[in-house]
Amino acid sequence: MFAFIVRRLFMLPIVIFAVSVIIVGLLQLLSPIQRASAFARSEQQLREDNIDAIIRQYGLDENFFVQYGKWAGAALQGNLGFSRSSSEPVMVTIRKRLPASAELAFLALLPVIGMGIFLGTAAALKRDTFIDQFTRVFAIVGWSLPTFVFGLWLLIFFYGGFGLFGIGRVSNRFVTEIALGSIDTPTGFMLLDALLAGRLDLFFDALLHLVLPVTTLAVVSGAQIMRVMRSSLLDALSQDYVRTAKAKGLPKDVVNLKHARRNALIPVITLSGVAFAFLLNGVVVTETIFNYPGLGSWAASAAVQLDIPAVLGFALLTAVIIVVANLLVDLLYAAVDPRIRYS
Amino acid sequence: MDTTLSNVDNEPQAAASSTKGWYNSKTFKRFRRNPLALVGAVILIFYVVVAAFAPQLTAGRLGRSCIRDLQANRDARATLEQDLVNPLHPIFWRAIAWSPASCFQVPRQSFIEVPTAPSREYPLGLTGGSYDIYYGIIWGARSAFYIGVLVTGISLALGIIVGGSAGFFGGWLDNILMRFTDTVYAFPNLILAMVFATIFGPSLQNVMIAIALVGWPSYARILRGDILRVRAQDFVDGARALGAKSPRLFWKHVLPNALGSLIVVASLDIGAVVLTAAALSFLGIGADIGFADWGQMINFARSWIQGPPGRPFAYWYVSFYPGLAIVLFVLGWNLLGDAFRDVNDPYSNN
Repeated sequence: MFAFIVRRLFMLPIVIFAVSVIIVGLLQLLSPIQRASAFARSEQQLREDNIDAIIRQYGLDENFFVQYGKWAGAALQGNLGFSRSSSEPVMVTIRKRLPASAELAFLALLPVIGMGIFLGTAAALKRDTFIDQFTRVFAIVGWSLPTFVFGLWLLIFFYGGFGLFGIGRVSNRFVTEIALGSIDTPTGFMLLDALLAGRLDLFFDALLHLVLPVTTLAVVSGAQIMRVMRSSLLDALSQDYVRTAKAKGLPKDVVNLKHARRNALIPVITLSGVAFAFLLNGVVVTETIFNYPGLGSWAASAAVQLDIPAVLGFALLTAVIIVVANLLVDLLYAAVDPRIRYS
Repeated sequence: MDTTLSNVDNEPQAAASSTKGWYNSKTFKRFRRNPLALVGAVILIFYVVVAAFAPQLTAGRLGRSCIRDLQANRDARATLEQDLVNPLHPIFWRAIAWSPASCFQVPRQSFIEVPTAPSREYPLGLTGGSYDIYYGIIWGARSAFYIGVLVTGISLALGIIVGGSAGFFGGWLDNILMRFTDTVYAFPNLILAMVFATIFGPSLQNVMIAIALVGWPSYARILRGDILRVRAQDFVDGARALGAKSPRLFWKHVLPNALGSLIVVASLDIGAVVLTAAALSFLGIGADIGFADWGQMINFARSWIQGPPGRPFAYWYVSFYPGLAIVLFVLGWNLLGDAFRDVNDPYSNN
């Protein structure tokens, strides 16, 4: 197991290297002056008399390898350029907004996985009954609902129609309180910070604001996992070892849930890496719809404003997240399936 | 010697016989019996018809520059509107086969900022800024197919180049190409397309290129696998023994026999491509404002989430109709795609 982890960890820098080469490669499509904005540390540096200095400092008119080396050096020191759309260095914005997106993504993952696995199991065990047909329709409809349509419809119906839940991360009065510093936000995770500060009103307010975005993400992403869980469990239930276990007289639940479902989880885990990438797509769209101040809405508005350093910084961060998520998936995979550990 | 040569040049017999009588083939029979697949097919045929006849369906609503561009070289005895819906007139067919770019621009009926409710004149209403929703949806279907088919085609070409060389040449090239493919494949496609589109600059063409640059990895993977399978077959060895060189071996013997499943997968991806384009357009990345495109129509609705006081759902039509158009479109593709997976899945016999 240890060797397996080390082998997988070895992949991490390689993939990040590949992505960074692509990023610097893409920058070559721009003029040196445009490229310089990806390296500035502040608004002042973007003024014309300073641009030349940046071009010289980072070798922006030299060849690709020099540029890559200097870019990587700066990136390793945490300098990813200055974002015009948020008027601060990219790294600062990322640090500020990452907790909000992480909170949203984690909260969405729980219903996605739970709903996917439990509804999928129920559909497979009670094949061709009401629950199976229901989940089938639910899956096809959920899978066909684009995030931006479903999210907007939810917003119009609940928020526009009945004033429920609300947009943003917290209500305005809390925004003011946080801005004035009367509520501490040490972790950046609103739910956690509210509990730490002992403010239950803020906790529930933040929770209510998460209901619609989380629902949007969960329905669209969960449908896919549910279908895979169903078909893979049906597959497992038809295997010989399940019949053997039943013939031995083991209780039905033990056979279904211990023998069959554990094996059926393997394709689901494989899929969850892809599903996570899909979820990140959804985060960009969902945050934009609900005005949620996370990384996704920032990246989307940066893209519209052609704020290149911001978009590239976001891409690099996404790459890191994806690699780490795939690593976790692999580890989970190895934990569930011993054959992978020893191969 | 002569007979052997001609044998080698023929396609393998299995491939030839499967194309004969496809209507009665087991695969297609199973497909026909799947009611959901039929629903999907009907939905998509409906969209194809709407897209094809978009000029006729919007004959009375065309914008001024669209009318001007359509009228090139026309003798004006009847109004354009009458000629457009007259199948005997050449302009009827010319408008279907080719429509000028200006027709994809949704005409503005006025400059009123507030949406206008559906009426007899504007059956689906007007958005804020008075863009005709009906026009946008009809021409949006046309631009959806345009974007979907073109982008999938480019992606397919990229996938064939990468997957083809990886599978055919193998060795270190295979290794490098496939690791690169895996990296792009793992990346969230919308985010990567967003990055490309930002660097290339905002325009519909650039967004299409960006989506194509994101979509190829799955094709490269499928093709590589199929090529490895085909390459190992006897007829390839036979051709090589007869002295066929690599390019001929690849283009004449290996690729045609490996493309089958790839073409099916790629054509079923058109829906997903349209969805990505619409999502980008929703975020404000892509075509100019007013271009007939469902994503942008839905984006218009973002400013009209709440009605005036007392009538909360007053502007429902601004988000409902474009949303419905895209949901049905994606549903059609998904139903069809699901059915194809079922048909090809040996476990789904019972």
